[in-house]
Amino acid sequence: MSFTLDRRFFLTLAGAGAGAAALSACGGPSTTPGAGVTTAADIDFSAVKPAASIDFWSNHPGKSQDVEKSIIEKFHAKYPDIKVNLVTAGANYEEIAQKFQTAQAAKSGLPSLVVLSDVWWFRYYLNESIIPLDSLVKQLDVKLDDFRTSLVDDYKYDGKQWALPYGRSTPLFYYNKDHFAAAGLPDRAPATWQEFAGWAPKLKAASGAQYAFMHPALAGYAGWTLQNNLWGEGGGWSKEWDITCDSAESVAALQAAQDSVYKDAWAGVSSKESADDFAAGLASATLSSTGSLIGILKSAKFNVGVGFLPGGSKVTSGVCPTGGAGLGIPSGVTKEEQLAAAMFLQFMTEPENTAAFSAATGYMPTRTSADMTAVLAKTPQIKIAMDQLVVTKVQDNARAFLPGADQEMAKAAAKILTQEGDVKATMTELKATLEGIYTKDVKPKLKS
Amino acid sequence: MTPQLTAKAGLPPTQTGEDTTKNPAATLARNRNRWSRRKRQDFFVFLALALPNLLLIAVFTYVPLFNNLYYSTLNWTLGSASATVVGLENYVTFFTSADAARVLGTTAVFTAATVGGSMALGLLVALALNSKVRGTTFARSAVFAPYVLSGVGVGLVWLFIFDPGYGVLAWILRGLGQQSPQWINDPDLSLVMVIIVYVWKNLGYCAVVFLAGLQSLPQDVMEAASLDGASSFRRFVSMSLPLLSPTTFFLLITTMLSSLQAFDLIRIMTPLGSGTSTLIYEAYLQAFGAYNRAGYSAAISVVLFVILLVITVLQLRFVERKVHYS
Repeated sequence: MSFTLDRRFFLTLAGAGAGAAALSACGGPSTTPGAGVTTAADIDFSAVKPAASIDFWSNHPGKSQDVEKSIIEKFHAKYPDIKVNLVTAGANYEEIAQKFQTAQAAKSGLPSLVVLSDVWWFRYYLNESIIPLDSLVKQLDVKLDDFRTSLVDDYKYDGKQWALPYGRSTPLFYYNKDHFAAAGLPDRAPATWQEFAGWAPKLKAASGAQYAFMHPALAGYAGWTLQNNLWGEGGGWSKEWDITCDSAESVAALQAAQDSVYKDAWAGVSSKESADDFAAGLASATLSSTGSLIGILKSAKFNVGVGFLPGGSKVTSGVCPTGGAGLGIPSGVTKEEQLAAAMFLQFMTEPENTAAFSAATGYMPTRTSADMTAVLAKTPQIKIAMDQLVVTKVQDNARAFLPGADQEMAKAAAKILTQEGDVKATMTELKATLEGIYTKDVKPKLKS
Repeated sequence: MTPQLTAKAGLPPTQTGEDTTKNPAATLARNRNRWSRRKRQDFFVFLALALPNLLLIAVFTYVPLFNNLYYSTLNWTLGSASATVVGLENYVTFFTSADAARVLGTTAVFTAATVGGSMALGLLVALALNSKVRGTTFARSAVFAPYVLSGVGVGLVWLFIFDPGYGVLAWILRGLGQQSPQWINDPDLSLVMVIIVYVWKNLGYCAVVFLAGLQSLPQDVMEAASLDGASSFRRFVSMSLPLLSPTTFFLLITTMLSSLQAFDLIRIMTPLGSGTSTLIYEAYLQAFGAYNRAGYSAAISVVLFVILLVITVLQLRFVERKVHYS
């Protein structure tokens, strides 16, 4: 046997290695003919013992790490045999989703309980990454009827419950009471955007702030808050699965938003976080999540007022979307871990814990029986957020259920609000993009 | 006298001077065994030295590469346990959509601006640092420092500078009665912003490499040109630049490959990739940024891989011909 260490031999060796690598490429997802989501059967947990240790992945919405730790400590005291490891799995909903999806693809390192936002849980359902909670709810006697109906129903699909509400929020209208007083305006949020457009010049002149209003950051959740503007003019991103962002009503709503920045020049567009801009005194008013409430109250050096979202010229009430995050249980972990996770999930969402979470963050108490007396005595503004819940509206399918739609909406909003792009043309283009996403990525997976 | 050729003619004489004509077959076998033993020993040494590296390269480069090629033929939603084989559909989708022109255009602008900017400014800085004045040692360190800083840290600091609301730049502009441009929200300005920061971070690398090149130029030739009355500009254009061509060529390849793979600054400064979606960032966005199209993202990665390969081959074949190595 002889070997010649020349270029040809080396290439042969490399080729063999590459061939082996190519063979190893046969791993990854199983390649089956395209099919919709299979009907998830109820899992029987009756003979299952809870796992001794579980991982809880959170992005600590509303800077909730401390309150999450304290609830976990209480859980450990009640259930000493189950250890909950709190894992910071991202700084926001997108980062935690990215980590979760990657763990799903790697089929390892999955948590037993994960925070999932309003735009992610449906994808996890489509990918069969989370389990239905119905059998666990039944076995653990979770009081579903004590949850706020609009919040718990957001996670119902195909007759099953896929998550429970956790850090749930709505946008709120925040305003600088001192600026409003200086401008001689009433101490309340405007009833409509048209009313605010009348107030804005006075505000800008009297307050000394750069802007009367700061539009929320586009890279954040522009698609979420802009639903308020769209719904007020009778438009929307979609009606069911029909994309309606290019309708005359939708275009009129976004044209008004563009005019506030360019033609009338009383509004700015936040580059990072409108709550921070508002708290820093850059603008006299803004829209931001209820989850920003405690942070704004802590950092603002002026009197902060909050109110319902303004309506529009066509619709004045029911123009506020719900949002925020829920908690789901991955399908890729053991039954023991799933049961332990469900026990912790039940504990996290018990009335006293949801009240504590709400007090620490400003998020909605998810249980109707939560005693909010002490919380509201300390932070009465939370009451406005709670009252607004009754006039909230379920988000448009296009925003909540289409993968990547939020990004596309943000890009379209950037074109309109920061480049003065033609609204109708931008919305026509967005419609084509959203329809493409629906046809390619969602429709094939929906049950007919 | 012409040597007598035997049936085994052409065989080299043995190094021991043995008469190979007595028993040529036995001698040949002996030689072959001896060569085989030596080659076998060489081969084991080769394996011992090369195999660990080959294994690492196979596991961390070739396995992902071939996995990626395979995934690019799937309609696979990241996180889903199943996928559909779609052949070349992902490539067709990419090249027939508006994405291709947008992403390839952004990639071309970003790469040309960052490579051109880093090299041009790097050369200017190198020329300044090549002068014999006080403080050049400190200046060299200061210029090179941003290159070794974390891209994430650099991105965050520059975001604070560019923030149109309460950034340093906005504060200065307000002092001058001007509004800050919408660096972060306007996609066109976002690209300019990222290019500025990328060039700032990387020009130190070009400067240091150019400086090394300048200091290795033959001084006798430069002095002769000077004695012949060539101006400093003439010496730079006609002598320094051509003699620097190996350095320029090396920098052209390394900075271009680096720019085409730039990720951290884009991710930190423009997470949505509005206006800054280069090929590599588009691949990231498509898989992890909310769309979850793992197969489509893999196809974009393959396009990037092919572009990198073609650019490197073209540079080695054609640009290198213009290089003066002496």
